[in-house]
Amino acid sequence: MASEALTAGKASPHGQRRLTQLPLWAGLTALAALVGLGLGSLGALLVQAPGVSPSSLWREPYLAGVLRFSLWQASLSTLVSLALAVPVAVALARRPRFVGRRLLLRAMELSLVVPSLIALFGLVAVHGRQGWAAPLWEALTGAPAGYLYGLSGIVLAHVFYNLPLAARLLLQELERAPAAHWRLAAQLGLQRQAIWRTLEWPALKRLLPRLAALIFTLCFTSFAIVMTLGGGPGSTTLEVALYQALKFDNDLALAALLALVQLTICLGLWALALSQGGAPSLVAGDDAMPLQGRWQRRDALGVSRFTDGCWLVALSLLLLPPLAAVVLAGLGGVTDLAAQSSLWPALGRSLVMAAGAGSLALMLGLALLAGRGWLAARGQRLTAGLMEGSGQLILVLPALVLGTGLFLLLRPRLGGGWQGYGLVVLVNGFMALPFVMQVLRGALLGLPVAQRRLADQLDIQGLARFRWLLWPRLRRPAALALAYAMTLSLGDFSVIALFGSPSAPTLPMLLYQQLGSYRWQTAAATALVLLATVAALFMCFAWLTRRLPRYPFACPPRPDFPQPPANDRPEP
Amino acid sequence: MLCADHLSFHYTRCDPGETPDFAFTFHLAPGECLAVSGPSGAGKSTLLNLLAGFLTPSAGRLCWVGEAVGERFGEGQGESLPKGLNEEIGENLVEQPPWARGMTTVFQDHNLFEHLPVWINVGLGLAPDLKLSDAQRESILDGLAEVGLGGLHDRLPGELSGGQQQRVALLRSLLRETRVLLLDEPFSGLDRDNREALWGLVRRQQAAGVAVLLVSHDPEDVDALAQHRLQLLDGRLVTA
Repeated sequence: MASEALTAGKASPHGQRRLTQLPLWAGLTALAALVGLGLGSLGALLVQAPGVSPSSLWREPYLAGVLRFSLWQASLSTLVSLALAVPVAVALARRPRFVGRRLLLRAMELSLVVPSLIALFGLVAVHGRQGWAAPLWEALTGAPAGYLYGLSGIVLAHVFYNLPLAARLLLQELERAPAAHWRLAAQLGLQRQAIWRTLEWPALKRLLPRLAALIFTLCFTSFAIVMTLGGGPGSTTLEVALYQALKFDNDLALAALLALVQLTICLGLWALALSQGGAPSLVAGDDAMPLQGRWQRRDALGVSRFTDGCWLVALSLLLLPPLAAVVLAGLGGVTDLAAQSSLWPALGRSLVMAAGAGSLALMLGLALLAGRGWLAARGQRLTAGLMEGSGQLILVLPALVLGTGLFLLLRPRLGGGWQGYGLVVLVNGFMALPFVMQVLRGALLGLPVAQRRLADQLDIQGLARFRWLLWPRLRRPAALALAYAMTLSLGDFSVIALFGSPSAPTLPMLLYQQLGSYRWQTAAATALVLLATVAALFMCFAWLTRRLPRYPFACPPRPDFPQPPANDRPEP
Repeated sequence: MLCADHLSFHYTRCDPGETPDFAFTFHLAPGECLAVSGPSGAGKSTLLNLLAGFLTPSAGRLCWVGEAVGERFGEGQGESLPKGLNEEIGENLVEQPPWARGMTTVFQDHNLFEHLPVWINVGLGLAPDLKLSDAQRESILDGLAEVGLGGLHDRLPGELSGGQQQRVALLRSLLRETRVLLLDEPFSGLDRDNREALWGLVRRQQAAGVAVLLVSHDPEDVDALAQHRLQLLDGRLVTA
């Protein structure tokens, strides 16, 4: 009862009295920047478009076809990803120990941020007409392996991306169940059906609507995959049509129309998903669940050993060969690296832009969450929710629209060259914001009640509160968020395709150029460099924050004081 | 002398068997230890949270009064403050935030910041911004040695036993030199040796003139420390 009153936030009017209003202003600034630029860019597009006619959507067969195909491929991809992710997650939860489990989980977490061109490269190497799987396919069906192009290829690529992500998040939800539940299930000897009904399904049910919305949105707005594997007007999505309208036809009216349609569909979907309640995390945590609670499960015996094995092998066969193909092909092209004069400038360009976009996303995310916390502490729940929700805006607003709108807004003064790249950094930062906020959320949503009371009584306020109480909890998530954001920006190939200049490419652009001119060996080396950079980023940030900082005690100078026996330092 | 006069609180929601309305009246002299007992749900924690400023009372006063006023109370607990004494009565502590009340609470658990080593946990009690002078650093080391934790200043709370953690918390309250120590079942679940060591720490504070309010289920703790006892019945403090 008492704790309830405390968490209500009204019971302790002194709690934050001396805190400044800095969090609020930071949050409001970020909110204004986000909403202003988001809606401003859409508005700019609408104003510049000389007459949008929604009726052309169903009158023009081309547009109707594009819309139908977008919806169809996204639905199919979502359905297949989720339907396969559930048994995979259940199998992974049931097998807490096997060789390579950690590696598999890491690969699954990274699937979200593997640059799409790299994934495509790997997929083509494995499933393409000359790919590793082609002889197998030919032996089985008697036809040449052409399944990577068109609808089946798009769905395969989307499943490659989203199934591991979905399974990882579902697994996290399963493992979050209290250890006591699993202890009880073990003691009662619950069987498969009972475990599914009492423990697994209730946990998964919470996550599924939002997960479905996320995957659908990602597939619906997918760009590089459809552009590469779509091949022709028969399989084009709204996002690709938008790009073509902007880049080749300069048809702003059509672009605005397509953007509005996309916005409407995605917003509606998210509204539907969010109304299903619950706000589970959509980003896998950085550290594995504590291994303390591993109880024997009755359903882990018998035939399930075989079926679980099948699911895990199938997952590995989907996920690992394309990545292996990138590495192998890249190693073959390593000798070319020295000769590639444009590679290192491109890498430098990409890293600088990624650093900019990552810091931008991190700052915006921190500001929004701080503002949200400030408002929530004062009972302004609606405003607080709005502030947090604004960070997700980019999930529904196509990045291309944002970029183009901003371009139109700033056009009189915006020349080419570095200003275009600055715009890309800005949009990339916005694109990374939803993921950054998901990672930061847990750490920044306030101290636990017990710690807050303690801090109040000891008068730890302002800067000291941040330095000693918040920062230690924040540094790991912040590093992870920065790594996510930088990776997303490193691999981006949608906005840069619009604004980048071919003579000064980023790494993904360079890769695309090399693929386009069929320089297979060189492209493989470039892909490997990109992949290695992503992996190095994650490892670097994880290493920097690998454990809690030690706070060494500076002994006061006095002669009689014996040096304290060091626990972790061996005597010299 | 700390005086609470009809310090009231009202819960909008409560479970069956719990009291929704509270009005606390008592006084507590420096160096004294007052024990409050009562069944669970009677409002013992509510009382301590009201005193510490974690909950805001709906009415009533909480203040320091001088010796002269205090003498009029004698031994009788549960009496209201005499009327017409406003000029002699200090400021109402209810208006003060938790950090300005000169009180330290020690709970049953979660008294330490889990991510910070022992010396910072103690040091934050001495200087909220942790800008410690050499003298303060020395006092931390000395204090830790005195409570039997010498050399453990670099440990994280999770690496200490429950009794050791409580010793750190009590040491911090000792070094803070506040006027009132609020004990919310701080000895629960500890063995005899640990409890005796902790009692010693509380007695040291009493000897230094700190007023102690003890909430405990265990009659042994009460016998060991308390000079006065009150009971919580129907949201009121009555003589046990």
